[in-house]
Amino acid sequence: MTTAAEERELLLNPVVPENVLHNTKTVTDIRSLTGSLFGVAAGILGLESYWGFIFYLVGSCVVSAFMVALNTGGRPERYFRGKSEIWTTEVVSGSSMAGFILTWTLFFGLLRV
Amino acid sequence: MASVQEQTILRDPQLFYWILFPITIVMVLTGILRHYATVLMQSAPQKQDIRAIREQRNLLHGIALRTNLNQLSLSSFTARKNYLVAAYNRGEFLKDQENKGKPPANPMTDPAGMDQMMNMLKGNMAMMVPQTLIMGWINAFFSGFVIMKLPFPLTIRFKSMLQSGVMTRDMDVRWVSSLSWYFLNLFGLRPVFSFILGNDNAADQMAAQMGGMNPAAGAGMFAPGQDPHKMFLAEAENLEVVGGQHEWVLDGVIERLLAAHN
Repeated sequence: MTTAAEERELLLNPVVPENVLHNTKTVTDIRSLTGSLFGVAAGILGLESYWGFIFYLVGSCVVSAFMVALNTGGRPERYFRGKSEIWTTEVVSGSSMAGFILTWTLFFGLLRV
Repeated sequence: MASVQEQTILRDPQLFYWILFPITIVMVLTGILRHYATVLMQSAPQKQDIRAIREQRNLLHGIALRTNLNQLSLSSFTARKNYLVAAYNRGEFLKDQENKGKPPANPMTDPAGMDQMMNMLKGNMAMMVPQTLIMGWINAFFSGFVIMKLPFPLTIRFKSMLQSGVMTRDMDVRWVSSLSWYFLNLFGLRPVFSFILGNDNAADQMAAQMGGMNPAAGAGMFAPGQDPHKMFLAEAENLEVVGGQHEWVLDGVIERLLAAHN
């Protein structure tokens, strides 16, 4: 697709910034809550080093699948640009990962050491 | 190598009750305090002169017309554009018409500019003071011993930072002192704040620092010290430029509608 055609497409189906912001905020909220809970789970299970991060990634994938199925009704492309955005938003960077590490460390320290 | 064998250290469980939880609670409470302090310290927007508002609104009118030009038919766009460009070039909407060509006033003497700078300064103070205080508090009371073991390994470079005050050469980097728990809190408490205070909170120090990098982003449009007449002239030129690229969205709408329903 050329640039001109892309611009034309954007004019015909405009992207409303408020809606994009709201959708991203919803995903961020879910991710930060589940990220912290995954940290609690990983700490209780006593996962260490790579296993903890693998656990987090797998859990995030499961949460993404739930979001696709429940929040978007199986059609994420209606709410996000492209199908993959809902799977990657806020997974690695952002507050979700930091919350995971915080609660993971806390519960690991409380229970295991 | 000694590092293969797992290091175990017996620790008093009281360490958790007297160090870990106090630091966490203090961090959360500081965040909440920060949020409310920021809310309280924001001075209410001052009532502006009617002519100043007219100047701003008319400039925003031109920008809105420029960004949404394709929503209008060519004739109505041209009519609006001609009116605005003529008025801009004449300087009709200027706050003080007689000062048109003169250089802008010094921002330091402009009361509106002073106000803006005060707000920025207050925001920075609300960020810097608690951070310094808490770091000092932790360093004064809780340095010199390890309190917890991280669940993930780190490289040796972190040793000097995370085990500050602990003078053991061979200890595994995973054993860390209270300062690193402070850092973890600094980064990881954002979900907690957004659940306590809502999404638009001012509690998070890291987010505030990121925002502090470009304070001019929000207020840059009508920053003091810019010549409004120059801005109007530039906007008039922009309008003339985009006028050449006009393409109405409703062009060919019948074909598109029919194609969508076939």
